[in-house]
Parts: sequence; structure tokens; C-alpha cells
Amino acid sequence: MENLLNCAMDIGEQMLLSGAEVHRVEESIKRICRSFGAKRTDVFIITSSMVVSVFGSDDKTYTQTRRILNSSTDYEKLHKLNELSRKICSEHLCDPKIIKDELDKAISCKTYPFWLECVCYSVIAGAFTVFFGGGVSEMLVSLVIGAIVRFGIALCETTITNKIFSKFFSSVIATAFAFLAVKSGLIPNADNVIIGNIMTLIPGIGLTNALRDLFTGDSIAGLLRSIEAILIALAIAAGYFLVVVLGGLIL
Amino acid sequence: MKQEILQIIMGFIGSLGFAVLFNIRSKRLCFAALGGLLSWGLFVLFSLFLKSEPLNYFLVAFIISIYAEIMARILKTPTTTFITTSLIPLIPGSSLYYTMAYAFKSDANNFFIKAVYTLELASCLALGIIVAVTLVQIITKFKTKKSNNC
Repeated sequence: MENLLNCAMDIGEQMLLSGAEVHRVEESIKRICRSFGAKRTDVFIITSSMVVSVFGSDDKTYTQTRRILNSSTDYEKLHKLNELSRKICSEHLCDPKIIKDELDKAISCKTYPFWLECVCYSVIAGAFTVFFGGGVSEMLVSLVIGAIVRFGIALCETTITNKIFSKFFSSVIATAFAFLAVKSGLIPNADNVIIGNIMTLIPGIGLTNALRDLFTGDSIAGLLRSIEAILIALAIAAGYFLVVVLGGLIL
Repeated sequence: MKQEILQIIMGFIGSLGFAVLFNIRSKRLCFAALGGLLSWGLFVLFSLFLKSEPLNYFLVAFIISIYAEIMARILKTPTTTFITTSLIPLIPGSSLYYTMAYAFKSDANNFFIKAVYTLELASCLALGIIVAVTLVQIITKFKTKKSNNC
């Protein structure tokens, strides 16, 4: 039972790391443990930690805790993990070894290459610049800045693994380059370029997920997510302010 | 009208970009990006006869969540995949930016108007999702009850 609980925890942990909602992970772990033959499962999960207690068929209780750090969004991985947990339940897989192998297969799924991510950042920034009313020249500037922002984030990832600081830094880069472009006469107005680039940084998904967690009963997880989203929004604003104030002093 | 069509296309491209960033693949990628096209398309359609933008946000979020639930069941994947990518064009990025800009100019009046408006839009968005999710939960509960009885 202990090994099986370990497997269930591994799956749950990976699900949280790839950006699943708390509710879904709790449900999956409960189902997996039930199919392992647990008489009772108590699951408590927040975005940064998980505690699972299982009352097994051997009349013993097993408890495990995991600390969750640095979750990201990877829906391909989540899809594979979801499939795996379905498979465990429907086929009543009970061999820890087989499950471990399947899990390794699910985790090591492909990700898109770095250059494509750069292209995505730049395309998103460009698209939303036009979306909010920018012209052709603004779009072109936005395309370039989007790619630069991605490089900035990569730089942050290798040196400081602090999500909030990395958002602050990206916001500084985006605003600074936008104002430079205005100064050099490429574009008449920085507003739309900055908005386009903010769209790639904004915690919109975080905020909607947070509100959803709050309203569906996972209050603590929801609060944690909301605070994170608010802090990120403040970090973006702080980056913008820093550039505008410094720019005002220098120019 | 030309501006609106351009917006719909750009919303689609933006959603597609985010879908790739979230590592969505194969068929799911198409439908996630299509959701972005659908969400802004619906917004433009509703704004023809709806004056209130927050109400419009609520309606679109509701319909898109239903779309996401349906697609998630067809393609057997978590619902979040479609909700998060499809609602990207609705994220109030520009009003958040103007809130920031007004705060910097110490324009308290406009700052408050924009800040409240941003919050209004975000909560309407969340509310739309929540109502849809709850509705789906009720329906699935009824369905499982029926199948248990059999």
C-alpha cells in the first residue's frame, strides 16, 4: 500500500506542477486510491502543498506530504497524466513498477523548442497590439519587443528563480524598449505596444483560476492564487513606473 | 466593422500563441485556438445589441465555458485546457494598463473609474465560468444518479 500511495502522490504532484486545478487533483487522487483498494482516503491540497492519508485494506493508515514548488503550465503533460489516472482506475492497475514506468513516459512528453516560444511571445504581443487598436509600425515594434521579453525571462530563469521578480524585469524591458522606440521616432505612441506586451505577462489566467477555486470551495488555494496574481499585477505596474520615472529623470 | 474583423483574427492568433506556450498539441491545439476566435466573435456579435460590457463578458464567458466542457468531454482532456486559452482575448489588459497609467499621472478620478471597471470585467468573467461549471456539475450529477439506479 505504501508504494501505491507513493505512486498516487507522484501523479498528483506532477499534475499540480503542470498547472491543474486543486479540485481535479484531489478528485484524481481519491479515485486512484479507491481503485488501489483503500477503505478511506483523505486528501488536502493547496497549490503549494499536498497531504494524503489513506486507510488501506490492511487496516493501517499511511500518510504522505509533498511540497510543491515552481508550478508551470503544461497542458500536454496534464493531458497525459489525466489519461494515466483514468487508465489506472478503469484497468485496476496495482503494480507500482508498471505505474512508475507509465508515469515516466507521461512526464517526459515533448515540449516546444525555445525559438518557437520566442516566436509565440512576439506573435502574441504583435497580435494584441493590433487588437487594441495599434497600427502597422506599432505591430512591428511589438513583435521585436515580444521576443526580447522572452529572452529577458530566460535570463531570469537561469539566474533568479523568482516568478514575481521575473515579471517585474520583463515589464521593465517591455516598457523601456517601447519608450525607446517612441524616442527614436519609430512609433507615435507607446500605449498599444506596452499593452500588447503586458498581455503576455498578465496573470489573467491566474486570476480567473483563483476566483474559480474560491467559488468552488477551495478557499485557501483560491486565496493563495489570488494573492499571487495581485502581486504579479503589482510587479508589472512597478516595472512600468520605474521606467517612466527614470525615463522622466534622464530625458 | 473592418476593425472588428481584424480584432477577431488577432484574438485568434493571440489564443493560438498562448495555446502553443501552454504546450497544447494536435487536435486540442486547433480547438483551443478556435475558442479564442469564438470568444471574441461572440463578444462582437453581442455588443451589437448589448450596451453593458460587463454583462457581455459574463455571457461570453458562460458560453465559452460550456464550449470548453463539451470539447473536454469529446477530446477526453481537462477542461482548463480550453477555458484558459479561449478566454485570452477577453482578459482586460488594456484597462489594466490605463489603470496603471492614470495612477502614474496621479489622476485619482480616472484611476478609480478604470480600476473598478477592470475588477468588474474580471469578476464577470469569473462569474460566467463559475455559473457554467456549476451547471455542468448539476447535469453530470443527475446523469450519474440515473445510471446508478439502473
